[in-house]
Amino acid sequence: MMGQLTTIARAEWRLWLRSRLAFGALLIFALLLTSTSVVTALRMSEAHHGRTEQQAGAEATFLSQPDRHPHRMVHYGHYVFRAPPPLSMLDPGVDSVTGQSMFLEGHRQNTAMFADVRASAELGGFEDLTTALVYQLFLPLLLIAIGHGLIVREREENTLVPLLAQGVTGMQLYAAKWVALAGASLALLLPLAVMCAVAIGRGAAPLASAGVVGIYTAYLLVWCSLILLVSSTVRSRSLALGILTLLWLGTALIVPRIAVESASSAIPVPGKLQTDLNMQAELREVGDGHDASAPGFQQLQANLLAQYDVTRLEDLPVNFRGVVSQAAEADLTEVMNRHAEERMALEAGQARVAASFGWLSPVVAVAAGSRALSGTDLATHHRFLREAEVVRFDFVQGLNRVHAEQLPYSDDINRNIDAEAAKRTRMSAENWKVLDAFSFRPAATSERLSRANTPAAMLFAWLAMLTAIGALAARRMQP
Amino acid sequence: MPMLIAKELSVERSSQQVLKDVSLQLEQGEIHALLGGNGAGKSTTLLTFLGFLTPVSGSVHVQGRDVSEDVGAARRAIAYLPEGATLYAHLNAYENLRYFLSLAGTDTDRQVLDVALDRVALQAEAREMRMQTYSKGMRQKVAIAMAILREAPILLLDEPTSGLDPAAIDDFNRLVRDLAEGGRTILLVTHDVYGACHVADRIHLLHRGELVGTFDRPSDMDRIDTEAVHAAFATHAAA
Repeated sequence: MMGQLTTIARAEWRLWLRSRLAFGALLIFALLLTSTSVVTALRMSEAHHGRTEQQAGAEATFLSQPDRHPHRMVHYGHYVFRAPPPLSMLDPGVDSVTGQSMFLEGHRQNTAMFADVRASAELGGFEDLTTALVYQLFLPLLLIAIGHGLIVREREENTLVPLLAQGVTGMQLYAAKWVALAGASLALLLPLAVMCAVAIGRGAAPLASAGVVGIYTAYLLVWCSLILLVSSTVRSRSLALGILTLLWLGTALIVPRIAVESASSAIPVPGKLQTDLNMQAELREVGDGHDASAPGFQQLQANLLAQYDVTRLEDLPVNFRGVVSQAAEADLTEVMNRHAEERMALEAGQARVAASFGWLSPVVAVAAGSRALSGTDLATHHRFLREAEVVRFDFVQGLNRVHAEQLPYSDDINRNIDAEAAKRTRMSAENWKVLDAFSFRPAATSERLSRANTPAAMLFAWLAMLTAIGALAARRMQP
Repeated sequence: MPMLIAKELSVERSSQQVLKDVSLQLEQGEIHALLGGNGAGKSTTLLTFLGFLTPVSGSVHVQGRDVSEDVGAARRAIAYLPEGATLYAHLNAYENLRYFLSLAGTDTDRQVLDVALDRVALQAEAREMRMQTYSKGMRQKVAIAMAILREAPILLLDEPTSGLDPAAIDDFNRLVRDLAEGGRTILLVTHDVYGACHVADRIHLLHRGELVGTFDRPSDMDRIDTEAVHAAFATHAAA
């Protein structure tokens, strides 16, 4: 049986090599894949280096600030950059549609900003064509071009009867043709595997990289099974090509669009402006701590005086204004984090609804799995936002601590009397070392694999369903 | 043991009855020809022996086995030459032969292939050319060579002389007789009354799926009802 299987598969490969159409399609795909891969890899590599350098530069700038009042440093602020992970050279995911850098300062959670406008301008917008997109959208088209006639061609050219008359069963023929197309698909996965190996060399997790290859393998096998099923059940190549083209349009273009629209309708996310307005109203009630005499801090003052058994703020061993800044920042952050988490929960809900359309379209499933494994999905962006917030909160509170513990209250409230008084409130630049170095990394491999579980399950469900239907079709195969 | 038996065979295709109560039997070394017009059910009979069609009633047996019970055994025992010499245009003669023969589990070296191709008189210089450059007759010769090379005990040949020139038809007829004398059982389907009379031991006349006459050669050849033959072809054409 294996002999017949490999004989038929080899014959199919020989046909493709001798067919101008198949060979031309392969050549065009190879060119497209090569150029896209090189461009994507260069772009993401440049982005990685650029943002890593910018991060180091921002940290150096912050640390090189002269002696200052610590609260001035709170507002001087700091930048963090989301360096793309090594596997982003395959799938940049949401990198180009979410901000990649953020300005951190006291009392505010700023929106992530876009730092790579220059690259987009240079490429005239073609940077959106990535290696992942070529595999997700264009490789199925190539497989359709070379594989739509797998069985229907034998039927049309009347070679199916002599084939089966040699003792080859319908199931063997079906399996052999599947092996032929799957073999071609696996060969076309070689560039992806090479890029994964390069990514591993640049620090990507081997397991996540293997997962990327695995999920694209499953995806292509789904297409192989779909193409073969159609080819075995229709009576003409043109009909097979038409049906498969429609299926491609549906699964690659229409269902993903419906998925996005459905997610937006099912889980509306209020606009950034509306969210910020609502949040600002709450933040005003909390106060930003600049006015230590505000009514909101009277209780804090009373508690502190009682704690240290003194009657005047000047007699406290800590600077009350610094303590107020610490308390206010903590309260503000709680409000801001609550709003941020609510917004991220809604966005994650939308992403889940959109990803659930993977049960209807393998393209949606593989895209979700690919982004999760590459560390370029929405969850990774949320992780960046949370980590940036931790950095922001830590350095702001670190400076507030310096304010509270090292700057005497009397100097602080009299800092505008004269230049000498102002000078006394300047803390040593050594204190700016409260800033932790920031180096963004995507989630651990196990977490990424876990997030890719559902998309992988969708693809395996597709594969199982198509294999089962294909087996039925193969058993009933008639010339 | 009869090599091929069709017993009161009735077959439908697309809900249309194409064979009705057809019975025939071939012993080893016999050559039978099925004659009839287009749509008479000749090719359907062959496809039923190969198990591609399931009878609505009656049965077909190959080497004593009911085809419906072991279609694989039937196909292994039969070398089938389909109508129109359907081979792969992108392969040359050797590649086509090797491909189909390896699927049938027959390994052949080039020398053996050349012997078979010599027997069907395919020009040596054409053998390495892709079949898209072949004439119909040349393709037919390769298909006949393949049927020979299968070394199956039974040959089912559908319009084997289609596209051959008169000299090649004579060669083919001699080849068929040689194969039968070597013990092969041959059922061939043809429009060619003259050729069938020369090569077949028995001729079955099919008309609209029914067996309307059986004539033995050479003893009964004179008794062939040529009027019936003409009527069968002509009636169908008119229909």
